[in-house]
Amino acid sequence: MSSSSPLLAVDRLSAAWEGTPVLRTISFALDAGEFLVLLGPNGSGKTTLLRCLAGLETPTAGAVRLAGSDVTATPAHRRGIGLMFQDPALFPHRSVYENIAYAPLLQRRPRTEVDHEVGDLIGLLHLEGFEDRRPDQLSGGERQRVALARTLAARPRVVLLDEPFASIDVELKAELHAIFRAALRARGTAAIHVTHDREEGLFLGDRVGLLFDGRLEALGPPSEVYENPRTPRAARFLGYNVLFGAEGARAVHPEDLSIGPVDGPGVVATARAVGTLGRETLVILETPEGERLEMRSRDPAPRLSAGSTVRLIERRSFPLVADPDRSGEPASLGES
Amino acid sequence: MRRPLRGLFAAGPVVAFVLAFALVPAALLFATSIEAAGGWGALGAVVRAPLNAASISNSLVQGGLSAALAVALGYPAGVFFGRYAWPGRTVVRSFLLLPFLLPSLVVVLGILDLFGPGGLLSAIAPFVTFFGGGLPGIVAANLVFNVPIVVLFTSIACEGTSAELEETVATLGGSPARAYRDVWAGPSAVGAAVGATLTFLFSALSFAPPLVLCGPRCYTVEARIWSLDQVFLSPASAGVLALVMVGLFLLPTLAYLALLARLRAMPGRRSRALRSLSGRDPVAVGLAAETIAVLGVVALVLGAVAYRAVAPLGRAGAGSAYRALFAPATTARLGISAWGLIGNTVFFASVAALIALLVGIPAGYAVAHRPVRASGLGLFVFLPLLLSPVVLAFALASFWRPLLGGESTIWVLVIVSQSILAIPFALQSLEIPLTGLGPGARESATTLGASPWGAFLDADLPRVREGLVTASLFAFALGLGEFTATYFLVTPQFTTLPVALYRLQEARQFAVADADAGLLLVLSFAVFLAVVLGGRRVEL
Repeated sequence: MSSSSPLLAVDRLSAAWEGTPVLRTISFALDAGEFLVLLGPNGSGKTTLLRCLAGLETPTAGAVRLAGSDVTATPAHRRGIGLMFQDPALFPHRSVYENIAYAPLLQRRPRTEVDHEVGDLIGLLHLEGFEDRRPDQLSGGERQRVALARTLAARPRVVLLDEPFASIDVELKAELHAIFRAALRARGTAAIHVTHDREEGLFLGDRVGLLFDGRLEALGPPSEVYENPRTPRAARFLGYNVLFGAEGARAVHPEDLSIGPVDGPGVVATARAVGTLGRETLVILETPEGERLEMRSRDPAPRLSAGSTVRLIERRSFPLVADPDRSGEPASLGES
Repeated sequence: MRRPLRGLFAAGPVVAFVLAFALVPAALLFATSIEAAGGWGALGAVVRAPLNAASISNSLVQGGLSAALAVALGYPAGVFFGRYAWPGRTVVRSFLLLPFLLPSLVVVLGILDLFGPGGLLSAIAPFVTFFGGGLPGIVAANLVFNVPIVVLFTSIACEGTSAELEETVATLGGSPARAYRDVWAGPSAVGAAVGATLTFLFSALSFAPPLVLCGPRCYTVEARIWSLDQVFLSPASAGVLALVMVGLFLLPTLAYLALLARLRAMPGRRSRALRSLSGRDPVAVGLAAETIAVLGVVALVLGAVAYRAVAPLGRAGAGSAYRALFAPATTARLGISAWGLIGNTVFFASVAALIALLVGIPAGYAVAHRPVRASGLGLFVFLPLLLSPVVLAFALASFWRPLLGGESTIWVLVIVSQSILAIPFALQSLEIPLTGLGPGARESATTLGASPWGAFLDADLPRVREGLVTASLFAFALGLGEFTATYFLVTPQFTTLPVALYRLQEARQFAVADADAGLLLVLSFAVFLAVVLGGRRVEL
């Protein structure tokens, strides 16, 4: 993060739903042009956080500052923060052109400028030829591109993306990722993208944050966050195995597990399923304590079958601290 | 795969029933009336006759005024119900159905009990007698029935609007007023328009309010047709006027069905459509105040009937009014005992509900499978309502009474008329659960060895049971309160509680009429409670 004043600063933001805390003292900052991804499972508070930033929900505590101004109490329509939902929520009775031109016309910009802006966005989001179509004549991916174009046409200082690719086919997703990133970069617009898809988040983000139970548990460059999960729930979410021993919990990557001699040292586990994923072999195991483990290996011919008991060797592991709810101590990193 | 022939076969019973007991008799009635009146030229003469012209004018004025006021009063409350979450919302929303389920005469009686001479409110504030009779009284009675209908349809439309789109407009810089204009003004207007057209039709074709609250000078076409046939013994003129009425109200009926189809095509309940009620939101506070005022007046009218049922007019008290209702003098006056009235009312309504259900289930399947276009079948079963209860009864009496052998079998026609009038509403309550019934479970049962009938009993029926119960309760309630067609048809021995209520009112036996209304109220309220406590949703 740069040392200059951030574009968006979130300061100890908390929110509750019918008395139950949904966000707990969240703090982070976003620089101009940055693409921040917040990863978290369902119910972790991702959408509530975006709604608070957009002005659609009122936080119970904390502040949101945009370009140095406190906008916590500013209504959504005067805030200058765009929000895109999983449902593209296009005007069903308006054409693609009219949907994109909605905000510029609302801002009473000159018609020639509106035409230029819409044409620019249509090119940027590869929507040429779709100008006169209605939303019901578009595919899911096309609708999402129109929704982003419409959001960008309002010239927001920050765009919030609430799982916009959640209902898109895997093959199309990669293409959309590239189009979205390129469009945002070309416009120089900062974005916060929330998702539960860890691969999507790690791939897209300049920085990645992990959100659990309304707390921001990690924030940093994708590789750093991926390589250093702090808690068991963060490790599990990132795809690590979590093993418990006398010295506490530790994380082991599935590729860092292998099968050792039965009478040697290591964790005992029972294979529950064995299969291949292309060139990899995937083994699902279970410890006597009930912990589910995953092992991935390049070995094309696994030496075990479902039901066999094995002893596992850990090539590399690193210690974890207890989940905040268990110890009672908040683990929020509170970066600002 | 769709099976059009099976679908057509499923629509057969309801089509045959409506044809045999409504459309064919009505067509024959119109044909014989035109012939008896001297050909098609009689149409003009009948329309120009001063009292007939006045009745057409009354229908349009009463219908138009009631629809406009129902929207003015019901739209804000509908928005309040459809957009805000507040404690008790579901229960209060259920109560909106109560006036619709009550017999029309009970509501008319409520207007009299409240605003009429000696009414509960007019004793305190004499100026409210303005609403106790004449056009204001009729419109007030129409509003008690219809404002809740506008509220319901508006709220359904508001619930169907996209919260995501509205929030997107806000994040694009649109103000709440702009979000209203661009996102939910249109759908909510469709909901209000559905309520308005239904209010117009119900009010323009109303019978009991002009009959009891005003008299011949306020008669609607419906009441005038009854009067021509039953008072002036001029069935040919009545038949021709009925044909004019059908022509006159065909367009609003089509408009109602088209708007209803549009409302149903809306996406349905959306996530986060309801927002929390905040005392700091002046719009929400204003809407809440308007809703309380409107529903308060409706509750006051119904409360007046309930009050009079336990404290009837006169000094003798409730006990003596109920004793008088069951006394030989009343039996002699009505030609039937109070037990007979209760028995007839419950029996007719029960059989009518059963018939509505028996023809409604296959029709619901036909609609669900869509081999017959749903809107076409909807219009078809709605046609008897366009004919109006009086014309339906008139046509049934003209065609079927001679075939059935005279007055001893008139009860059959009473049941038929009640079931025909209940079918459109029963079908709508069945249509939604049946349409939502995917073929998966039925097909699974079939592949596991169940016969088609067994698959229906094991897989489909349990899943639509609630819809069936709702439809039958609704049809039963409509039968309980049916007054117009029954009044036209019945002889004393087949009199029902609503007809007796009118006759007692007409004979100025107000305390006994109050007791009669009390019995009706108890029966209707029991049905209403069964609907509400079962968490059922009635479709209008």
